[in-house]
Amino acid sequence: MLRQLVLIWVVAVKDLTIEYRSRQAFLNILFFALLILIIFNFAFDPGSRATHEAAPGILWVALLFPGVIQLGRSFQMETEEGTLQGIMLSSIDRGVLFLGKFFANWIFLVLIDLFILVAFIVFFNFSFSVQLGWVVLLIMVVSIGFTAVGTIFSAMVSSIRTREVLLPILLFPILVPIILAAVNGTQEVLIREETQFLVQWIELVIAFDVIFLASGFLVFDYVVGD
Amino acid sequence: MSDSTPLLHLSGITKRFEGIRAVSNVNLKVFPGDFLTIFGPNGAGKTTLLRIIASLTQPTVGHIEFSEENVNKGRAQVGYVSHQSFLYNELTGFENLEFYGNLYDFREPRTRASEMLIKMGLEKVGQRLVREYSRGMKQRLTLARALLHAPSLLLLDEPYTGLDQHGSRLLTSILRNVKEEGSTVILITHNLREGLELCSRAVIQHRGELILEASSDELEISHFENVYLQMVGD
Repeated sequence: MLRQLVLIWVVAVKDLTIEYRSRQAFLNILFFALLILIIFNFAFDPGSRATHEAAPGILWVALLFPGVIQLGRSFQMETEEGTLQGIMLSSIDRGVLFLGKFFANWIFLVLIDLFILVAFIVFFNFSFSVQLGWVVLLIMVVSIGFTAVGTIFSAMVSSIRTREVLLPILLFPILVPIILAAVNGTQEVLIREETQFLVQWIELVIAFDVIFLASGFLVFDYVVGD
Repeated sequence: MSDSTPLLHLSGITKRFEGIRAVSNVNLKVFPGDFLTIFGPNGAGKTTLLRIIASLTQPTVGHIEFSEENVNKGRAQVGYVSHQSFLYNELTGFENLEFYGNLYDFREPRTRASEMLIKMGLEKVGQRLVREYSRGMKQRLTLARALLHAPSLLLLDEPYTGLDQHGSRLLTSILRNVKEEGSTVILITHNLREGLELCSRAVIQHRGELILEASSDELEISHFENVYLQMVGD
């Protein structure tokens, strides 16, 4: 068990080191998210009630679409020099490899998401209040499910030429439950300023997270196999 | 040598890709300490055969026995140098070896990484990012990665590709050391001179099939070249 935890850490640190050294990718993804926020900000009347109510949806579009780019990159870096095959030649458990890649992707996405959240608050005139703590919690739990499913599909399409197009097509239909929970939960906290159903939305997201983390761990051998 | 138990035994290995036979009914025994070179023109199925031995792809028909264990257990006993380096360009040479050392469950992966860098003459550039390496340095690091876990079988797929004369000589001298240490090596190449320099046995693969097996006394280069050209026809 300890050995498996060490290996998860080793794979995650390796991925995060590479991401840190190729900071350009981080900045590109962040810039894409900012562009989404700016476009919506210009497209809608900033002071209107309709914009205010649509804001949670806009936030999640800005969080999830750039996130797909990152998830796609995760296995692209393993195919460029055939490193995935190098890893496969070792005795590492494929489920452990999945958890290592997942963990690195999750940390990377949460970090980007926090920057995007700050930009969102500024662009859409929300205040830095206690309610934002709930949004951060939502971002963290939703990112777990998003990253788990994304890591599985990213590995699956990594050897396909049209992977950039295929990944979101495969990913988003499966993410519908957590996108609904994320948008509704954010709406409840930021617009209605209440938490009556928030726990239920978070519970739904956690159930989704557990199912797809466990699935990824169990099926990853088949995903990266011959 | 042939009296001992084979390290690797391929029986009736065939691999088809969408109806095309890349490897056709290959039967081969590799014994401990062998340095076997597989020659063949482009598209002969050499790389596919090596990938099957490394268990990176499964044969359509046939089976592999590897050191009395099944092929999945044998996977970690194989060191593989492919067309791709299996190295991360954004990590240093040392970090790459340390990473693989961790995967292979070394107690002291950092010590092992340092040892391999010294062995390959890369200790001075160990802290440089791999993307800054020359082709020759990268190939030596690739070899260090493949030998890191002291595999029982080293598989080399066209390791001389892209190397200049100095790099080729250096690689030959490293492979000579590997041979003297008693490792078992399978090298694939279409370059007869480089392939024959170290090998103790040679086979020719053409259109997926092994069409000739030659022992060390039949490996005189001009003779072998004539045989090769007659059989392969180019």
